[in-house]
Order: sequence, then C-alpha cells, then structure tokens
Amino acid sequence: MAEPIKIRPVNRGKRPHFFDDPAIDQLFAIVMAMSAELSVLWDRVDTTERLLDQKGTLSRADIEAFRPDEKVHTERTERRNAYIDRIFRIIREERDSLVAHDKMTEYRELMDDLSKN
Amino acid sequence: MGIVAKPQVDHAFLAKPSHDELARQSYASNLRMYTLATIGGGMRTVYDKRVKPQFEKAQGRAPKDEHEVRKVMLKDPYARAWSSMMRAAQEMVWESVVPTVERAQPELNNRIEALVGKPGVNKMGSLSLDPSTVKPKYATAVDIHLMPGNYETERTPNDATQGAFYDRGVYVYQGGMGGDNCHGIGMSLATFIARKFPNLKPKKILDIGCTVGHNLVPYCDVFPDAEIHGVDMSAPVMRYAHARAEAMGKAVHFHQMNAESLKFPDNSFDVVTSVILFHETSRTALRQILKECHRVLKPGGLMLHMELPRTATMDPYDAFYLDWDAYYNNEPYYQAYTATDMKDVIVGAGFAPDKYVEYLIPDLVWCDPAEFDAAVRGDLARGNALARWGESIKWSTYGAWK
Ligand SMILES: C[S@@+](CC[C@H](N)C(=O)[O-])C[C@H]1O[C@@H](n2cnc3c(N)ncnc32)[C@H](O)[C@@H]1O
Repeated sequence: MAEPIKIRPVNRGKRPHFFDDPAIDQLFAIVMAMSAELSVLWDRVDTTERLLDQKGTLSRADIEAFRPDEKVHTERTERRNAYIDRIFRIIREERDSLVAHDKMTEYRELMDDLSKN
Repeated sequence: MGIVAKPQVDHAFLAKPSHDELARQSYASNLRMYTLATIGGGMRTVYDKRVKPQFEKAQGRAPKDEHEVRKVMLKDPYARAWSSMMRAAQEMVWESVVPTVERAQPELNNRIEALVGKPGVNKMGSLSLDPSTVKPKYATAVDIHLMPGNYETERTPNDATQGAFYDRGVYVYQGGMGGDNCHGIGMSLATFIARKFPNLKPKKILDIGCTVGHNLVPYCDVFPDAEIHGVDMSAPVMRYAHARAEAMGKAVHFHQMNAESLKFPDNSFDVVTSVILFHETSRTALRQILKECHRVLKPGGLMLHMELPRTATMDPYDAFYLDWDAYYNNEPYYQAYTATDMKDVIVGAGFAPDKYVEYLIPDLVWCDPAEFDAAVRGDLARGNALARWGESIKWSTYGAWK
C-alpha cells in the first residue's frame, strides 16, 4: 500500500479579519461551516427518502452508493440556494433595503398614520 | 431561482467523493456563488447609496482611487460581512475537497504512474518531465488563491496530487459555471480564433501555464487537425493533465517547462495562448514570457492571452472590487497585473505596435449565440467588466500577430 497523502498549506499568510474583533470573522466562518453540515444532513435524509420511496427498504451501503442524477442535482441545488438565502437573510435584506426603498421611513410613516386614529 | 450548472463530467482519474463529501462540496459551491452573486451583488449599491455619500459629505469630493474606496468600504458593516463570507467560502471550497483527494490519491498516483510509464503505443498524447525545471519564486512562495499545497508540492516521485486537487477544487470553486469540464474559457477562446481567422488553420498550437489542461483540451475539438502542446512548470499538474487528457480521449502533448525559457526552437507554433496566467506571475516574468512567446511563434502566427481586465481605466469602485482578491485571497501579483498596460509590454517584447490586438470574447457556455457572432464580426458592445459567469460575461484577451 502506498504512503497516505496529506494535503498541507505551504504558506497561507496571516488570516485577514474584517471586523474590529477577529472573533466576529471566526463566528462567520463557524456559522457557515455549521450551515454546510446541516445541508449535508439534508442531502442524506433526501437520499434516504428517495431510496425508501423506490425500494421500501434500505441499507447503509445503498445510501453511500447513491449519487444524484441531473434531476436530483437540480432539485438539491435549488433547495440549497433557498436554504442559504434563509440563513443569510439578515445580510441580504440590508442590501434589499438600500435598493428598493428606505423601509424605516415607510415604517415611521405608517406609525404616524396609525397613531392619528 | 436562477440557473443550475451541470455536475462535473467524471473521468477515470477524477477523485471520487463519498456521498457526504459530495454533499459538502456541492454546498460549498452554492454558498460561494450566493456570496459572490447575491451578497456581492449588493456591494455596489452599498457604495453608491451609503459609503460614497458619507465620504462626499465629509470630504467634499468623491474617493479618488481604489485605495480610498477600499479604506472606506471596509469600514461598512455590509462590506465587512461580504468580505468575511468570501474568505470563509474560499477556504471551505478547498477544505471540502481535501479528504476526497487524500483518500483517492495513493491509488490514483499508482495508476497515473502506470499510464505514464506505458510505451507510446496506446497513447494519443505525451508527457515530458524535466526535473531541472526552475520553479520561480512567484509561483511557489504562497498558496495562491488559498489552495493548500499550491501547484507544485510533490510528495513522491510519482505524485500527481495537486493536479487532482486542482481539477476537483476548481469545479467546486466555479460552482460549475465554468462548464462541466471547467473548459468554458478555452472553448470560447479556441472557437473565437477558429471563426474569426478561418484562414489561419493552425498546425501547431501552444498553451502556456496550462495546469491540468481544463482550458487546453477543448482545442482538440476546435482544431482537430492541429498538434496541441501545453506547458507548466509543475510536474504534479503535468502528470495529472496527461492522465486526464488520455482518459478523455484527447491528444495533447504536455511538457514540464518554465515559460520564461521554453525549450522549443524558434518559429515553432502558429498560435500561442494562455488563460489566466499572468496575474500569477511577476512583472519581470511577464516581459520574459512574452519574449519567449514571440520567439517560438512562426512569422504570421497569432499570440492571444486571456486575462483579467485592466483596472487603471476603470472607475475606482470597480477597481477596488476586482482587486479584492489581491489583498484577501492570496494573489500577491494580481494587482500589479491589473495595473499593467498589456499593449506596452507586448510591444516591448518585440511585436510591432500595429500588430497588437485585443478582443472581448463572450463566454460560450452561457452567452447568446448571436452575441458570439457579433464578437466574431467585431461589433460587440463593451460590457460590464465585473460581469459574472451566467450573466453576460466577456473574457478580455490581449495579443499580437508576429
Ligand atoms: C491560474 S493557473 C492557469 C490555469 C490554466 N491556464 C487553466 O486555464 O486551467 C497558473 C499556472 O501557471 C503555472 N505557472 C506559473 N508560472 C509559470 C512559469 N513561469 N512557467 C510555467 N508555468 C507557470 C502554474 O504552475 C499554474 O499551473
């Protein structure tokens, strides 16, 4: 048997941080990694359900051997994109609020209106 | 919910992910694309509506260059969140591929070695390695675009790991948008040359810095009568490139060489190209490589390089956005490249000024065929320099006739 192979960095330099406290950048990376693990689990559940639909029974080997065809690949990609958008909604909405309208102004106007009645 | 790119085409030497590794790689692709397109797509708005007006109020003028833009943008919470996500997503792309390649590679290395060692009879192309090849510091000093181990790490005398790692990693990085064989740029470039210059009919073509041949292999289909050569300074990526091309049934001749001192005789090739090479080389090397291109090109031959657009003529915000990678994605030569005037250096390498050419080439994987026709005719509107894959991206190319 050949030697095991380890892929290691040569020189990555210092990891940059963008927030004043580098812990916030680390938290971003942790949340993103966690979101990945949930998505992996989701794909696994999806595989399990598809196999059960098809065969009514399954083994671990069946799950490991399952590979998405193009239809499943497309469905999963769309599901992941919607999922990512739910997780990172808070950031995306900041952008949307700048594009469409100033929501705060609208909200205050609504409050003013309501308080008159 | 937008476009869904195709899965990567399998071949005999592609490292096979397990069920969960595949799920993790797919997710890394989707997350990076979301960060780039959806969150990144808001960066300009944040600049125009929030950051720039604040700057103007305080200073009585707009930011004058990309450095000023970077300084103020990176104080904005939205730009900070986007940057933090871009960095983490880039790391996740490579991390997701590491276990797959580590597991597959000892066996793949042996299979690739067996293929390399085979006498030429069953092979379409060839591989020539030259252990004396000088590996320049600019190409080895850091993990470029954060790829652990970079292009040239070689663990054993038959190691092709970094090639395998790059093949899968680049697909995940591109989210498949570069084509299901990561071949979109090469296919666009080759098709453009063939259609724009139908009388050129090249017999010998050379691509420099070809890595695993993603953008070189498509030349075989576009120029079936030509002899196709590729060079790279890294032996592991050349071994893998050779195995991959053979597995795909394409005849390509790969050579381990430093592009600064090619081993080919003068006047050898009808066409010489490169794809996204120069933003990873030093300015001195760029000049030297262009001289070598001139030397190996036949009189009447065409040199054409695909590279990033030049920032000097861009709006300061666009230049900031384009150069972000130079600062935060381990691309130390990127900014020096994007500041370079290619016409200057191409003429400096011995090409006549009136033989200089530059073309914008639409991406064939995604563009409307009519747009490609317009580019071939020469009446394509200049597009958005920051367009992304899947939008109306156009590749910038620079070159000259000898
Ligand atoms: C970004 S990659 C090019 C990608 C490739 N053209 C493609 O389209 O897939 C840069 C490559 O250039 C190679 N390289 C850098 N400097 C070189 C030099 N002086 N001579 C030969 N290869 C070089 C690196 O080893 C690396 O594989």
